[in-house]
Amino acid sequence: MLDTLIAGLLRGNVYALGAVGISLVFGVMNVVNFAQFSFFGLGAMLAWFFVVKLELSFWIALPLVLIICALLGLVINISVVRPLAKYLPLAAMLSTYAVSQVLDNASQLAFSAQFRVFPEVLPTGNLHIGNMRIGTSDIVMLAVTAVVMVAMSLFLKYGKTGRAIRATAQDQEAALQMGIPVGPVQNLSFVIASALGGLAGIFFSLYIGVVNPTSGLNIGMTSFVAATLGGLGSLVGAVIGGFVLGIFEAFGIYAFGDAARQIVVFVILIVVLVVRPGGLLGKVPLISTEPLTGTFLGKGRPLRIPRWVWIAAIVVGGVVIPIVGSNYLLTTGTQVLIYAIIAAGFTVTAGQAGVLALGQAGPIAIGAYASAMLSLYAHIPFWFALPLAGVIAAVIASVLASPIWGVKGHYISIATLGLGIAIVAVIQLIVPRAIYDIPVPSIAGIPLSTPLAYYLIDFVVLMLTLLVMWRLRRSHLGRVISSVGSDEVAALASGVRVRDYKALAFAVSAFFAGIGGSLLAHQYTYIDTTIFTMLMSLLVVTIVILGGISLPYGAVVGSIILIGAMELLRFAPEWRIIVYGLVLILVVRFRPGGILVRNS
Amino acid sequence: MSRPIRRTLLASAVASLAVMTLAGCSLAADASSSSDSSANSTVYFGVSAAETGQYAQYGEQFKQAFDLAVEQVNANGGIDGHPVALKYEDSQSDPKQSVTVAQKFVADPDVILVFGDYSSAASIPASPIYTSGKLLQYGFNNSNADFTDKGTDYQWSSSTTTADEYVWEADYIKDQGVDSIGVTYLNTSDWGIPAYDAFKAEADKIGLKITDAEAVDPTSDDYRPSLTKAVAGDPEAFAHLGYGPDSAKLVTQLRAIGYKGTFYGGQDEQSFDETPDAEGSVIPAQFVASNPDEAVQAFVTAFQAKYPDDKDVTSFEAGAYDALNIAVAAAKAGGTTRAGILKGFQEIKDVPSVVYGSVTFDPQTRRILNPQFTPTILKDGTWVTLDK
Repeated sequence: MLDTLIAGLLRGNVYALGAVGISLVFGVMNVVNFAQFSFFGLGAMLAWFFVVKLELSFWIALPLVLIICALLGLVINISVVRPLAKYLPLAAMLSTYAVSQVLDNASQLAFSAQFRVFPEVLPTGNLHIGNMRIGTSDIVMLAVTAVVMVAMSLFLKYGKTGRAIRATAQDQEAALQMGIPVGPVQNLSFVIASALGGLAGIFFSLYIGVVNPTSGLNIGMTSFVAATLGGLGSLVGAVIGGFVLGIFEAFGIYAFGDAARQIVVFVILIVVLVVRPGGLLGKVPLISTEPLTGTFLGKGRPLRIPRWVWIAAIVVGGVVIPIVGSNYLLTTGTQVLIYAIIAAGFTVTAGQAGVLALGQAGPIAIGAYASAMLSLYAHIPFWFALPLAGVIAAVIASVLASPIWGVKGHYISIATLGLGIAIVAVIQLIVPRAIYDIPVPSIAGIPLSTPLAYYLIDFVVLMLTLLVMWRLRRSHLGRVISSVGSDEVAALASGVRVRDYKALAFAVSAFFAGIGGSLLAHQYTYIDTTIFTMLMSLLVVTIVILGGISLPYGAVVGSIILIGAMELLRFAPEWRIIVYGLVLILVVRFRPGGILVRNS
Repeated sequence: MSRPIRRTLLASAVASLAVMTLAGCSLAADASSSSDSSANSTVYFGVSAAETGQYAQYGEQFKQAFDLAVEQVNANGGIDGHPVALKYEDSQSDPKQSVTVAQKFVADPDVILVFGDYSSAASIPASPIYTSGKLLQYGFNNSNADFTDKGTDYQWSSSTTTADEYVWEADYIKDQGVDSIGVTYLNTSDWGIPAYDAFKAEADKIGLKITDAEAVDPTSDDYRPSLTKAVAGDPEAFAHLGYGPDSAKLVTQLRAIGYKGTFYGGQDEQSFDETPDAEGSVIPAQFVASNPDEAVQAFVTAFQAKYPDDKDVTSFEAGAYDALNIAVAAAKAGGTTRAGILKGFQEIKDVPSVVYGSVTFDPQTRRILNPQFTPTILKDGTWVTLDK
């Protein structure tokens, strides 16, 4: 009991430090900052480098790391986040994701991907509580967190700049009118948050002992959940969220096992959000600013597409490529097409209903497993398993997501992100082994397993998807869903049952995600749960945002660019992801509303 | 810049990017179709591995060993006068990319064999493509038995299987006079769960009592709650079925909660080897860098001379180094074509190996015959052979 409590406290301590940084940036800029995750890994690797390679004292290395992280944070905010955050928090979020990719891979180039043993700068096992061994290191960590928190709250409460930060967090425009220099205040918050990220990274490595450039992702994710749990924007909430999550997680693991850890974390999150939609200490504004809605749609400059382009695109995609394309191009094409199907279906949720769900890997996995098991164990042919997989994904995902539709804004993104991860974790518990020998599609006993056959199947399914999307948008139902996304309050006032339509939109998206999952499963002929990662969910979201959030055909363009670019950049393997991230940042910088935008 | 101009520029930039994407794809495939068949033409092997992403650390280790082996092979006259070269493609060990990499290699007539991929999730989806391209997929690192069991004549591996390894480990633990054991294993479908199944089946058979078994997530950072539970039944020893980095975290935390029995687990991997609490861990090994055997020491010396910053020579590097030499031996025996090297794999016998001493494949299972395990213990950061 006591052991578990202590483990939970120590773990909660790290989450709290990370969560404060995330909450701080969110409060003053209304941006979810994925780059914060990278500062954990970067801070840890820099500290390792200074102490082990340069043999500096830890107490010199510590401020150096904080300064480097702070400076990097400043550069990132000035060059990428602020220009976008001013009017498009969503684009800013996407670019922070790109920044995190660049940072992680730059760190990997500099320090290599190997796991390193973090130096033991303070004794880690010299004290005993019962059977549990803790060290001066743990006590110092707790003390530093306490000092940082107290200093931060005094600064925010009484300091002039601190008060300016709070004012900006409460109402940016009012703060500006009162003469508060909002720009510098945001820079300062970003700098503080980045330094705290670096600090959390160092603590985290001291605590677990080994570190590599990407090991911040997991702890970052959980800190993010902690910040959400406490109420985004509330610093005290972030601290409480961190400790609450750490302790509950520890007891959850003790009771249900580590395999259920992610399920435990996200069940806690979802329960808290259902009971208190603004988090433990967050306030729910009467009219919340949705990250995706209203004025957002009109912001981009539309690219008009002449009719001949459509015909040309269909001819190139459906006739020219299948005839002249090599198997390599066709196989790349199948991946592009499947992600286009998933993303096109997702535009109903993200674009029309205005819900930026971040967990599409969940329904994709349900579709893949359903289709694989139906055809393997029930001997149902692929052609029936495919639509069934879509239906099953839609039904299961809708049932699981049903409690969360009252949650608003960024909270719903985090809740769906959690849902996606939890779904995959549950599948892992139910189907612990990988699935092999999934039958390939066949007609009259002839297997359709060539790249050309896969390509054509995927192309037809994509055309059907686009047709359904087009019909849906023009129908009465589609307009109602769009009204929810454009102005939720107005829709509610007009008697639209907002929650139900959001759920419906999500079900439609989950259907197409399930179809995509089924196509993947039958083409790979093998699936295990490691395929359906958070990165897969983020890829779907990135495709949709890049293509123009509410345009199904934009998703096709997004998919060509994002999956095609990964192949195109093969000439520079080590720099591939860095270049990819930079390209993404540039595209978002110049087309913040997506590449193809249509005025609403 | 005025709005219309900027808009046009952007539109054309986007359009050209898209065109480049398509052109790049088709060009890449076309460029490789020209091959010259002169007497001393280069023999190419493909490598499909993670150079970036979450498995990049293994890609780095493989590359170091491959490059060393290629250098040595070419210095000794290559394959009957043909120099050997490698074509690397980054798959991030992601099936979305490993399948396109597979098509790329299949379309490249110069490539006669492909090494990889690293994970099952990336290797097995690519297998049908290699099979239909009649290109040998050498998953030298795939310990998942199903890679070859469910594969075709074109999937080969010189790795031992997880089942073999953990059956051996259960027997060994019992032989040490241990009667009860606490276990943690990775909660992964392609590796940890099958490994535990094999371990448990053998333990039940020989009467080794598993006091508690906890599945753990490899990306978790804090195993204390699981470990507290796993040692609650006071087992005489503890086994963790996992990789290096997770074992490093786990063994540190196992000692932190006050457990003192022998730790059977870990991996010959840099971060684990350097972890202070890992001292005294015992694992079954095939490659032991401290092995006094001449061939092993020659390899270790050459490796450390080529990579002076990387003194730690582990089984990952050794496995890749062996794999390249085995492929070269097969090409010498069967010929430097796709069909030839496949024939070579079926024929070669007693190929010298730094991991196993010598390697002969079973043409039926396409795994090596009678792999032997050696018990090793971690002493001062180095694995040394334990006397039985």
